[in-house]
Amino acid sequence: MTRPAPARVAAVAGALLSVAAVLAAAWRAGERYATAYALRSAATISHYLAVVTPPARDRASGYDLAPLLVQARGLATLPGLGVQVEVYHGTAPLVRATGPSLSPDAFDEIRGRDSAEWVHGQGVAPLWDKNERDVVGAVAARPKRIASPLLSLWLLVGLLVALAAAWGAGSAVGRPSRAPLLRYLAASLMLGVGAYLGVRGAARQSTDRWLSDARLLVQDVAARAPRGRVPLADLARVGRGATLAVAPPATLTPRREASERGRDAVVAVRLSAGRWLELRTTPEDARTDGWLVLLVTLALLGPGATAVVQWGAGAVARPRELRTTAAAWGFLAPAAAHVALFAVGPLLFAAYVAVHRSTPGEPGARFVGLENFADLVRDPVVWTALRNTALFALSVPIGMALALTAALILQGSGRGVRLARAVLLLPVASSAVAVGLLWRWVYHADFGVLNGLLLRAGMPAIDWLRDPTTALIAVTFVAVWAQLGYQTAVFVAGLQAIPTAYLDAARADGAGAWRRFWHITLPLLRPVTLFVLVTGLIGAFQVFTLVYTLTGGEPGHATDVIALRIYHTAWESLRFGPAGALGLVLFAILLGVTWMQFRVLRRSRGHV
Amino acid sequence: MASVTVRQLTKVFDPDQRAAVRDLSLAVADGEFLVLLGPSGCGKTTVLRCIAGLEDPTSGDVVIGERVVTRVPPAERDVAMVFQNHALYPHLTVRDNLGFALKMRRLPRADIGRRVDQVAKRLRIADLLDRRPAELSGGERQRVALGRAIAREPRAFLFDEPLAHLDAHLRVELRAELLGLHRSLKSTMIYVTHDQVEAMTMGQRIAVLHEGRLRQVGTPAEVYDRPADVFVARLLGAPGMNVLTGMAIESGGGKGDGGRVVECGSLRIPLPSGDYFGEIQLGLRPEHVGLCGVGQGVGDAAILIVEPLGSETLVHLDAEGQRLIARLPGLVELAVGELVGVKFERRRLHMFDAAGGRLPVSRAP
Repeated sequence: MTRPAPARVAAVAGALLSVAAVLAAAWRAGERYATAYALRSAATISHYLAVVTPPARDRASGYDLAPLLVQARGLATLPGLGVQVEVYHGTAPLVRATGPSLSPDAFDEIRGRDSAEWVHGQGVAPLWDKNERDVVGAVAARPKRIASPLLSLWLLVGLLVALAAAWGAGSAVGRPSRAPLLRYLAASLMLGVGAYLGVRGAARQSTDRWLSDARLLVQDVAARAPRGRVPLADLARVGRGATLAVAPPATLTPRREASERGRDAVVAVRLSAGRWLELRTTPEDARTDGWLVLLVTLALLGPGATAVVQWGAGAVARPRELRTTAAAWGFLAPAAAHVALFAVGPLLFAAYVAVHRSTPGEPGARFVGLENFADLVRDPVVWTALRNTALFALSVPIGMALALTAALILQGSGRGVRLARAVLLLPVASSAVAVGLLWRWVYHADFGVLNGLLLRAGMPAIDWLRDPTTALIAVTFVAVWAQLGYQTAVFVAGLQAIPTAYLDAARADGAGAWRRFWHITLPLLRPVTLFVLVTGLIGAFQVFTLVYTLTGGEPGHATDVIALRIYHTAWESLRFGPAGALGLVLFAILLGVTWMQFRVLRRSRGHV
Repeated sequence: MASVTVRQLTKVFDPDQRAAVRDLSLAVADGEFLVLLGPSGCGKTTVLRCIAGLEDPTSGDVVIGERVVTRVPPAERDVAMVFQNHALYPHLTVRDNLGFALKMRRLPRADIGRRVDQVAKRLRIADLLDRRPAELSGGERQRVALGRAIAREPRAFLFDEPLAHLDAHLRVELRAELLGLHRSLKSTMIYVTHDQVEAMTMGQRIAVLHEGRLRQVGTPAEVYDRPADVFVARLLGAPGMNVLTGMAIESGGGKGDGGRVVECGSLRIPLPSGDYFGEIQLGLRPEHVGLCGVGQGVGDAAILIVEPLGSETLVHLDAEGQRLIARLPGLVELAVGELVGVKFERRRLHMFDAAGGRLPVSRAP
């Protein structure tokens, strides 16, 4: 087969587009973090100026021009500051007086918003008066060096490898080999991760540079103070955006330090000999997960496009296959969308929640790895709930034994038999809440039917649902009762599906009723039994409503189950991370049960 | 080995419906191969199931050997049944299927193994022992079903259309094998089928059932040559016997016709016996119908269909409303629509009364 040139061109074009998209996204991320740095530094410098500049002598607010000019010029010469600064008195520039003045519109906007804004390529923060009542000017900051993620080594390596692999995969379009495409896939993954590492570096730099700037300014304020006096309020104002704390001496470069909230960015500030502070803030690079997803997705678009082109090149030669494949995807699409939206999506979200921790009242969540799972393992209540759930799940096999017996009795088609089956199905048709409330009444210590019977029989009353020894048994019994009709109906259907020829043959072979049941009926019923068992177990492990309405997990967690624990952890303790982790644990358990079913069912065979 | 006798067996499933089997009596001798032949729904399977004990007769008795077993559970009757759909236990291997009945009888494991191996060797299924029924071909399954019956060494075998679902050449092969088995086992076998070829080729005797009643019992030759009624006459043979209906009238003088002829459409058939008047049915096997020139036979008929089969040719004829088939040897060149004369030997003629019962050719003088 000749390789179709247009397909190759399309593959290479797709690859280039994908690479370009990755680079654009990385560049945009770099801009964003540079902007964030400029805005923060502008705000910090503005606070610094407000602290170090003496108030105006003849006015109620604002500063006199001369001292402000002195401070602004001094700032421009401060060594180590990462930004180029311009200070505006009103709208007039002070550092470079011949420079353009701030436009009145921009000034009004900054004044109106009370926060730093990005104006004409620089971060502009409002300059407040001493008491932060009025905006009297502005501070503009522009990062001196642009640390773009595009220049990161990781990104460059990823870029080269991806382009080479893309070329290889593009040339291979039309050939049956899959290896070039897989290589390209791996290379693109590398590009995506490389770009992410670059973005992460930029994010880190953004925080670190601001910390350095803040340290310089805080030290400067401290140095201006009279000896022996630490102007704490002033320091706090300059260091706004970070937490200040007294700390032991350390290096002056910013560092990362583990804390209770995750990883903090910390820089040490030397006030004077032996007097050290530290500035501590949440680093930008702790919240870059989104970029990872975006960059890897964009990088994978290239191999995706190549794969589509490759498939298309083959499909052009086989139009019928193309049509049927397209039709198959078309038919699958609604179901696939449903599964993705309501099954895969929530699962991924739960996985995300499970490895993060959020604090109530604080936006965002930070990555904590397996810490939530460790919390679960340490929590005795979780273990109690797991044990209770397992014991509760025993309701399934117990119910099945009863249901199979009932099905054997009720498998005929007489009117009475059908009526009995319908009556057995009633609890299945009623809501779990109704069932729970009904049985609460049955079990009630004083007015309950059950205790009424016990008393009449001369036995002592039992507080079924409040006695820790009976509560779980009582709840489990209700579950057996509630599912009996459903299980019976399924077993009846299963029994009726067994061809009578097998039972006739067994009778002719001399098997009595019991041995026919044991050797023929039960083995042939196995797929049905497994179905009832697995669906029942899945339901039992997820039980919530019944327990919630009957006992709410009381007394003292005696009937607490996993689903209830997830609910309490999430919505009463507001600990979403551990709740998500417990949800994943439940998911793993159910996955195990289902896997078992698939394994066993694969071995069973149909009727001959 | 044992004889099997059914006495006045009646089985009614639904009181509103016709009885599945009515007042049926049948004696199968020890070691005999008897075929129960009839169209579907004639009650032949019900008879078999009553013998096996899978159905309780409404009235009548089943005797196996010397013992009346009518109320005895199947396990104690010691008869083996082979089912139409094989009914091999799908969850058991071939080995376990073969040994199932023996296990139910609590035979020692070693004995079971020995017998299963013997049977497997005899039926050439030894290499299938560890497979499950789903992995077998149709013929293999039927062999296993057969083996399951043989392994029990029962007093009688009951076969319920065991070859019905096999393709034609396998059926021929297994038919021969079954007969060989019967010869070597010398056991009583009752074989239900709706296929007259199976009945003719396999049965030592054939019992023909129709609508729950026994119509005729006899050797294949008897049943074929002297059918008890029109139903049996039509059932046996492929195609079955031609049956013409007509009125027996005075011939008005002809050579050797006993003074009676029957007018069937365009045919005027002289009766071999002069005892009958009025409505009568005449039977004639297709192989006994000959063709001749127009006007030279008992009448003329138009050719409707010609079916050349190679060794023979079937010619469908229409004698003014009376349809009959002629079976001619070899390939015959005939044109559809052509008019031909019909001839036959008078001694080949079967006579039935209007209700279908056989009439003797000549009554005692």
